[in-house]
Amino acid sequence: MCIGSALFILLTRNLMYAAFALFVALLGVAALYVLAGADFLAVTQLMIYVGGILVLLIFGIMLTQTPERQEATASNRVEVLSGRRFWGFLASVAVFCLLLFTLLGSRFRLGGDTLTSRSTLRTLGVELMTSHLLPFEIAGVLLLVALIGAAYLALNRNPSA
Amino acid sequence: MYPIVLLSVLGIVVLFLGFMKSKSVLLPATLLFLVLALASNFIDWNQGKVLYFYEMLAVNNLTLAFNAIVLVSAFMIVAMTRGFQDQEEAQPAEYYGIMLFSLVGAFMIIGYEHLIMLFVGIEILSVSMYILTGSDKSNLRSNEAALKYFLMGAFATGIMLFGIALLYGATGSFNLTDIQSYVSIQGRGVSYILYAGLLLLLIGMLFKVSAAPFHFWTPDVYDGAPTIFTTFMSTIVKTAGFAAIFRLLSHSFTPIYSFWWITLAAITVLTLLVGNIIAVYQNSFKRMLAYSSISHAGYLLIAVTSLSPQTENAILFYSLAYSIATISAFGVLMLVSKKKALEGQVDESYAAFNGLAAQNPLLAFVLAVSMLSLAGIPLTAGFWGKFFVFGSAVERGLVWMLVVAVLMSAVGIYYYFRAIIAAYLKEGDIGKIRIAPFYRIILVVATAMTILFGLAPGIFEKLL
Repeated sequence: MCIGSALFILLTRNLMYAAFALFVALLGVAALYVLAGADFLAVTQLMIYVGGILVLLIFGIMLTQTPERQEATASNRVEVLSGRRFWGFLASVAVFCLLLFTLLGSRFRLGGDTLTSRSTLRTLGVELMTSHLLPFEIAGVLLLVALIGAAYLALNRNPSA
Repeated sequence: MYPIVLLSVLGIVVLFLGFMKSKSVLLPATLLFLVLALASNFIDWNQGKVLYFYEMLAVNNLTLAFNAIVLVSAFMIVAMTRGFQDQEEAQPAEYYGIMLFSLVGAFMIIGYEHLIMLFVGIEILSVSMYILTGSDKSNLRSNEAALKYFLMGAFATGIMLFGIALLYGATGSFNLTDIQSYVSIQGRGVSYILYAGLLLLLIGMLFKVSAAPFHFWTPDVYDGAPTIFTTFMSTIVKTAGFAAIFRLLSHSFTPIYSFWWITLAAITVLTLLVGNIIAVYQNSFKRMLAYSSISHAGYLLIAVTSLSPQTENAILFYSLAYSIATISAFGVLMLVSKKKALEGQVDESYAAFNGLAAQNPLLAFVLAVSMLSLAGIPLTAGFWGKFFVFGSAVERGLVWMLVVAVLMSAVGIYYYFRAIIAAYLKEGDIGKIRIAPFYRIILVVATAMTILFGLAPGIFEKLL
């Protein structure tokens, strides 16, 4: 279901359909997390991606679609030099096969005790505040930089322009 | 460790200083903060290897030396901004704040012990660079460069993250030492997933230092970004990126050297060829420097590929020599191109340097020394940088790679000397260029360092 809807996003030309397909794909990923025993990740996925980002995305699509421009369903091809298409396709297929081969050829080990504990939430919280404290805090710097940058780039200081 | 904490806080302080009416306090404050960070850097000096924050961060003399190079380069670059006084639209507080934060990212990837630290550090560094690239909002080329850099960089990050995930899947740990013990126990019998993960991770990191098959963003981004930030990008990001690659390969993956050296050797040769040969065809000096930075990435990769006991010294010295020479070259370019600016369009071609020596002997001399150093002519730091790099390759017995590298540095002499010829031998109508005193000091110090390290490279070795 997840792969199918992801493919649908790629192939559809309607932005709205793509957004709804993304909804299905994200739900599918959340379900995969549950099956893998990562309950916290699954809940976060549901809340942030499905609940937050996707709603934002759909609002964005609805608000930006002006009636005179019904181009959402029209073809939206990027012009590329056709000479590279064959080699590009070949290279990506080769990389895909290589990765597929690697993934199929290896067996995944399961970290023993994670499955036995009932909830990962407690360990996650403790880990974040002890052993992973530094990256957790420094991620704040990253977000700050991104925030300043977004504000700076989006701000129009020259109203006449 | 201390500079990370210090600069994270002081970056916020700089942002708040930006609220003050007078913008003139920002530049001295930022310089002071950088000196503070440099001083705090040496608290850990000669303590051996120390691990901080539950084995998140490793500190030893090597990482401290890399930190020092990054800080010294940052100091020079910030000093050369002169507080952005001549640009009305500039927002110095934001620029300085982002620069300080990006240094935090650089320190993280120099001394990481945990792959999550590597990821967060690279992200901080790249996001800052995306913003600084696009900081000249009224310039279309700057906007284009920022968008291009952002899109390509985001993909590279995704690939890198995929690689980290695969490495975790194979070894069950993000910790470099744990990965190392896993790899050395398993030997050649490690699962394919580890190989795939390592390759993807390397692709992501090589993208950041603009090695050859992943270099396509470099010329456009370096060309489009405001020159001062190009300098920042081509010195600090490169130094930190190579420190990170070297750390990963020398620390965790030495047991499977026979696997990755071929890949890296191919990338090295390609980088050398692409960087040097395309640089010959450039007419813009700035774009030439972009390709030259690709070719220098190639020389640094030789050192990483050979991975002998000399390598860490070679990389350290080379990045120092390269950074100083690049900073002074860009410093001269900024002055000259502004002088020759026509209707707000700066002139960054070789022709801008025509007749520079007649009225501005100091600038011409600084330019000549930096070009000689980049080309690797004896009596400059660049020569010893190349010497050490080639020495480590000889130790590993990579003679064929050495032949390519020497040929390519001969090609390099051609395009570096074009600038010198333009400055000294061609006629031009360039007037006297006024240089701010502090700017002059920085240029003179950079040139003096280049010559000093060229005459006596032993000074540096004794320090370590």
